[in-house]
Amino acid sequence: MLPTPGPGAAIARARPRASVARDRWVALASVAPALLIAGLVVVGGIGMSAAQSVGLVPLVGEAAFTLDAYVANGDELLTGLALSLGIATASTALSCVIGLAAAIIITQGRVTGRVVAALSALTIPIPHLVGAASVGLLIADSGLIPRVLGIAPTAWPDLVGGPWWVAVVLEYTWKESAFVALVVAGVLATRVARYDETAALLGASRARRLRHVVIPLATPAVIVSAIIIFVYTLGSYEVAWLLGRPYPEPLPVLAFRLFTSITLTSRPEAAAVAVATTLVSLLAVAIGMALLRRTPLWK
Amino acid sequence: MSASLALDALTKTFDGADHAAVDAVSFSVAPGECLAILGPSGSGKSTVLRSIAGLDVPSSGRILVDGADVAGLAPERRGMAMVFQRPLLFPHLSVLDNVAFAATVAGQPRREARADATQFLELVQLAGFGSRPVTALSGGQEQRVALARALAARPRVLLLDEPFSALDPELRSDMHALLAAIRAQVAPTVVMVTHDRDEAAIVADRVALLKRGRLLQHDAVERLYTRPVSLDVSRLMGGRIELAGVVRDGAHVSAIGRVAAPEGETWAEGSGVLVVRQEAIQVAAAGASAPEGFVAVDVVVADRRARGPRAELALAISGAGSVVEAATDQATDALADASPAAELVAEVPASRPLAIGERATALIPRSACTVVAG
Repeated sequence: MLPTPGPGAAIARARPRASVARDRWVALASVAPALLIAGLVVVGGIGMSAAQSVGLVPLVGEAAFTLDAYVANGDELLTGLALSLGIATASTALSCVIGLAAAIIITQGRVTGRVVAALSALTIPIPHLVGAASVGLLIADSGLIPRVLGIAPTAWPDLVGGPWWVAVVLEYTWKESAFVALVVAGVLATRVARYDETAALLGASRARRLRHVVIPLATPAVIVSAIIIFVYTLGSYEVAWLLGRPYPEPLPVLAFRLFTSITLTSRPEAAAVAVATTLVSLLAVAIGMALLRRTPLWK
Repeated sequence: MSASLALDALTKTFDGADHAAVDAVSFSVAPGECLAILGPSGSGKSTVLRSIAGLDVPSSGRILVDGADVAGLAPERRGMAMVFQRPLLFPHLSVLDNVAFAATVAGQPRREARADATQFLELVQLAGFGSRPVTALSGGQEQRVALARALAARPRVLLLDEPFSALDPELRSDMHALLAAIRAQVAPTVVMVTHDRDEAAIVADRVALLKRGRLLQHDAVERLYTRPVSLDVSRLMGGRIELAGVVRDGAHVSAIGRVAAPEGETWAEGSGVLVVRQEAIQVAAAGASAPEGFVAVDVVVADRRARGPRAELALAISGAGSVVEAATDQATDALADASPAAELVAEVPASRPLAIGERATALIPRSACTVVAG
């Protein structure tokens, strides 16, 4: 029997275009306040920093265009940039690898998977500051772990405040791998099980299924997570400040120190560091989106 | 690519379930044969298929492929491929790489795997589609690629889990023809799950009919229609005529009178329900006499329903009372029990002008009749 359209279908067909257009305006008006506030903060904040960094909004004196703020701390800016990129890259790479592994374990649906999912979910609401303090208390040379293991502080490696920023990367990895795990598990859970069964029935072993099916299916979610993590760890201040060494400074720590400096002329320099950080972040997002567009799934 | 398959008392009870989803199901499939597992929703047919594939672990029973028990073998080591209701083509691979998947994961060089896959794309009449992304295919094309991908794995048994049920009728017909062509060329052993008895009849050599996890009948398609072993089978196969009565001296006595068993068949003595396919009933003018091998029954058209090019007639049996009088007490009771069903159903061309209230003669071929337990 051919299906007969119900009254709802007739009404839907009869809806005038004007009504649809009105609905769109209503929807736009509903989100406009949120958009305006977010736009003001993001665009306004970046605009203000950019203007301040080129001398257009001085705290004292006449406004005049100059790039002095960018040159004043040139060496520190470059060192900080290299350091920030290193921390962000290491944290992002480790978070993605560990998070992807955790997501795969979660989607297996066994007891281990449920435990990993619970641990990941518990990690998310803990603030970075609390995480950083905990990591410091655990792995500093006078921390809990060396004490429990009976290792003297002099024999314990410089994980906190050391030359390799291990504690900083560790804290970011702990927190962000949980984020990757939950995001990727959410994506995999909805689609991977049937594909995994199909691949198994086509003769693919567990390892082959992981390589040829699961990882390719998870790649877009991993890339999106990686973009978020990279940009966050590049611009995050408190963890690097708490667990890092005083010099060299990553970009956000440098920017904050200059911003809170008693020297009034440092304010444009702080803005210059912030603008440089923003530009690098935008570049990272652009590269990430280009990678995402190259994935077959995105196409 | 063709192995024999046998199920021996396969049972599957899911955790926390009151009863078995599959209850001691046994059947066998010869190499190159196509078996349809037919049944309504919840009959356990997909569970049987998933157990054969190794995706579900049976609670008890054996699954034998070429005589060897495959218990404990992981799905990837059973040599089976499955096509699901959704094509489940890998979205990150092209059409060709989807078909080449089994060869790729088996470690074949990519060039060889793709060359092999090309043959199977040709087999499903999709030559030239290899470089396309899977998102550029229609629903029917996707299912063809899924079929090619499964065949390219050279499965010992090809499992089809309602693979065509999401397609429109025209595409389904095309897929049935394609499956027939593939069977003619590579003769795979096929086990297909379906809830559509017409599809089972078109595609399969034999049918295993399931209800509530139990195997009701495993037989050739034609016999399921004409020689059902129970009322359940008759009803599940769409049988509409059930005439309660009694078998006495080798003949069934009911509202339509005495019907002798067909040549070479015997019916068990005692109460029984005579079933006959509505498609077998011929409707002749009132007063027509019965040709050799037919039983004539005077009827009145009680209802008429349009069925596209056919019309379905409900035929009230006239003169049932006299038959009842002639029957034994046992038959009388049986007929009294069956009074709401004491009518025949027949299908005639829609163009035939038989109106409600019109008298006619129903001609029932004895060879189409069978008696099952009530």
